[in-house]
Amino acid sequence: MASDEVILETVDLDKSFGAVHAVRSVSWKVYSGRVNALVGDNGAGKSTLIKLISGALQPNAGGFRVRGQETRIGGPAGAFGLGIAAVYQDLALVENRDVVMNMFLGSELTRGPGQIFLDHKGMLRQAHKVLDDIHARIPNVREMVRNLSGGQRQAVAVGRALIRGGEIIIMDEPTAALGVEQTQEVLQLIGTLRAQGKTIILISHNIQQVFEIADYISVMFHGDLLGTRSRDEATETEVVAMIMGKRSP
Amino acid sequence: MLGRFTQGELAIAGRRREQLLFLMDNGIYVVTVLLFVAFIFLAPYFFTPRNLVNILISASLAGIVTAGYTVAILAGQIDTSTQGVLAVATVTTALLFEEAGFSLPLTVIFALLAGIAAGLFNGLIVVNGKIVAFVATLATQGVMLAIALFLSGGQTITIAREGLQEAVFIRVFGIPSSVWIMFLCYIVGYIMLTQTKLGAHIYATGADYRASLLSGVPVDRVIRIALVISALTAALTAILVTARAKQSAMFGLAIAGSVDFVTALTAVLLGGFSLFGGVGRIERNLVAVLFLTILGNGLQLMDVPTGIILIVRGFALVLAVILSVLRARMT
Ligand SMILES: Nc1ncnc2c1ncn2[C@@H]1O[C@H](COP(=O)(O)OP(=O)(O)OP(=O)(O)O)[C@@H](O)[C@H]1O
Ligand SMILES: [Mg+2]
Repeated sequence: MASDEVILETVDLDKSFGAVHAVRSVSWKVYSGRVNALVGDNGAGKSTLIKLISGALQPNAGGFRVRGQETRIGGPAGAFGLGIAAVYQDLALVENRDVVMNMFLGSELTRGPGQIFLDHKGMLRQAHKVLDDIHARIPNVREMVRNLSGGQRQAVAVGRALIRGGEIIIMDEPTAALGVEQTQEVLQLIGTLRAQGKTIILISHNIQQVFEIADYISVMFHGDLLGTRSRDEATETEVVAMIMGKRSP
Repeated sequence: MLGRFTQGELAIAGRRREQLLFLMDNGIYVVTVLLFVAFIFLAPYFFTPRNLVNILISASLAGIVTAGYTVAILAGQIDTSTQGVLAVATVTTALLFEEAGFSLPLTVIFALLAGIAAGLFNGLIVVNGKIVAFVATLATQGVMLAIALFLSGGQTITIAREGLQEAVFIRVFGIPSSVWIMFLCYIVGYIMLTQTKLGAHIYATGADYRASLLSGVPVDRVIRIALVISALTAALTAILVTARAKQSAMFGLAIAGSVDFVTALTAVLLGGFSLFGGVGRIERNLVAVLFLTILGNGLQLMDVPTGIILIVRGFALVLAVILSVLRARMT
């Protein structure tokens, strides 16, 4: 897979919370059109790293290169502009709003003078299309998110990322709270996204799952990025050893 | 946690819950109609054109202030500064019209500007000071009351000049202007909340500040706008109250009657709103205001002593709070 193209790169990215050095000078390459898995023990710094990439946090030092261009990511809106959209660990869905309004939250379609009026019809149409594209099973897009299953919520959050023009979709432990059947649904969803040429960053604690679905596996330990392996060259034993802090030769 | 349910189970629980919520939310329509019909039989003179217009007039004052208050609540901001804004705006109206000799339109514009300034002040403390609205606006209300007291020298300003009261007494199709203004407020509010981007952002910010922020909603600006709308409707109410009474109604209560924080709060809760924001429909609020007004009016016509009426209204608030908490537990 040496021919794979790097779409996003962090350059000596650093982030501390007071005395906690959560991300230590991480330089990480994310490959285009691939599933890039990020693994590591609890508190290794995975969520912090992807929040830096999605603009939810600002680094103390370091920067980004997106599609070869040096850039900074000023905030969530800046990340959307670069085609980066995160599906957070808690999904950041608004429970008391319906599926359509959640999918368009912050990027509503508008019409009329000054673009102040909502284009309800247009949003409805596009929501259906996006959900169909990812084969999501949501019978009623006017349903409140609070009544959806875990798998359905994941689909809504991913749908939102796609509506944002997300080319690089970040998913933080998307299956952590799900049962067997819904986990399969989400894995299929990830497969569908990759087939459509999207780049996926996937955080997971499930090593088997990672080996099943990821193209690249990167390991973090105590804020450091220990290394990246393509799935074909990596073994579960090696990855597990790295997760426990054993830097391989 | 959701993983424990199979999809079917969750859907049924969801459907039953939605049905119950629907009943709780729309019960206000039924209760209001029942109360109305009951008073037709129980309260003498209740069902006369004159009294019905009276009900609409008193509802209009509480209704206008509640419309803006609702918008703040939807954005997750409990605005307790209503009394303060009323005071500042009533003094502004009386001073400018009576003492400074401003024309009617100019007086109205400046009184509304005073409301906007008050709302911006609230926004400053809430957003920049990062203080919960409930507490922040309690503090700003103190400042506003002091300013009103200072401006008026602590005196009620009587308006002898013609033109102000006449304007609110103008009737169109037999209905006084303040009632039309109330309906206008609700129509504009309804369109804003359901059909505009700002409305969608107000709901989302109130329902989940963090999720909205992460989704790129300009949450702080939304909160500022909601607080300005709330103060603006309070100022509008103050102008109408002042004009009707031909004097500044410094502390709102005596003359404005039902125009106060508690009525607005009761109406908002009865209307099925969540105090935590993000849930509710403004049109239900209008009905809740009518309900409270009809309740007070009917009891008064039945010669129930004022003390008892206040107690009944107090219970209405308690009931409303219980309903609201039940609702919050369910969602
Ligand atoms: N906002 C914050 N304030 C202070 N400390 C934080 C904050 N966010 C994360 N941390 C700390 O930074 C470290 C890395 O946390 P992070 O959430 O990135 O880990 P993680 O790899 O995602 O772990 P998990 O697998 O448990 O989700 C932890 O020690 C955590 O306590
Ligand atoms: Mg994490």
